[in-house]
Amino acid sequence: MKTTATKAAPVNAEVLDLVRRRRKLVKLSLGACAHCALCAESCFKYRNSGQDPTYTPSYKAINTIGKIVKRRGRLSPGEYEKVRELAFDKCVLCMRCRCPVGVDLPYLISLARSACREVGIERGYLEGKNA
Amino acid sequence: MIKATRKPLEEISSSVKGYGRILVLGCGGCTSVCLAGGQRESLELADDLAQVARAGGSTQHQSSATVERQCNPVFLAEISGRIADCDCVLSTACGAGVQNLSDAFPALPVFPALDTLFIGVDIDVGLYEERCRHCASCMLAYTGGICPVTRCAKSLFNGPCGGTRVDGGCEVGEGKSCAWLEIHDRLKAQGRLDSILSLRPPMDWVDRGPATLVQVGYEGRYTAAKVAAP
Repeated sequence: MKTTATKAAPVNAEVLDLVRRRRKLVKLSLGACAHCALCAESCFKYRNSGQDPTYTPSYKAINTIGKIVKRRGRLSPGEYEKVRELAFDKCVLCMRCRCPVGVDLPYLISLARSACREVGIERGYLEGKNA
Repeated sequence: MIKATRKPLEEISSSVKGYGRILVLGCGGCTSVCLAGGQRESLELADDLAQVARAGGSTQHQSSATVERQCNPVFLAEISGRIADCDCVLSTACGAGVQNLSDAFPALPVFPALDTLFIGVDIDVGLYEERCRHCASCMLAYTGGICPVTRCAKSLFNGPCGGTRVDGGCEVGEGKSCAWLEIHDRLKAQGRLDSILSLRPPMDWVDRGPATLVQVGYEGRYTAAKVAAP
């Protein structure tokens, strides 16, 4: 089956700096995640979404800053758009997600938001669209 | 959420005059939602200041960054690297965010770029109306969900003044309706008019100083030494 490779955008220097500064912390945090999904119960977005697993805080952290760190910021615009959806649309950063292991999930998601901002992506408030 | 609006550019540029490297720091919280101080607005402000500087022959340099919420120290830690590279910060957060930033970096001059206006609701994109004056004594249970403190021009507690117009408007004009007429009509429709028949004592407006809130259930977490009583 023929697949179309997605072209990654040039690495943003600020994102690269963020990855460099927080790489160990992110790897340690996500490495400690036991995938128990207990954090899901503390997320009102998860509970109100019909328990959609993509709203689980750990899923959001792994697939945002986890992916950014793993790929050293080399994500395509389409991939950053998926990160934006998880970090901005599916999380309000209410900081109530609780991890029994002690992973600071809100902080990890805030790092993903910072990376998004560095490449010019943020939540849009104009008519509900990403502005 | 908190609503704010940008100060006049002349006032902003005057406050940062004389500083070489300026960091315009946006806030991803309330001021982002009301389109006054988010990422886009902080970038625009940096551009506007650059134009003012160029026109004045200044070599001032502007940069921009945005943190999730300036009212939370957790998010300010991320910006410490950029803070070290600037001479002053222009904050597009609300007054609480500006003060929190000033407290976090006491050696650094921090200037507000916004005027914080009120707690309000989103009527439409870019259109907001005040709904709460955080008086610490909510009356909404008795007034049909319409706040007399905020929506009555005189913040009256026990019915309207004599300034209600025949068309239901307030004597102050400006298209404002009489809050007490609205309260009456809503309670009548709900069959709850009795809730405004008893007199309410006046609000205690005595200045209580900066308040501190320890939420119910969290009392044991904070000792008296950490949190002063309000």
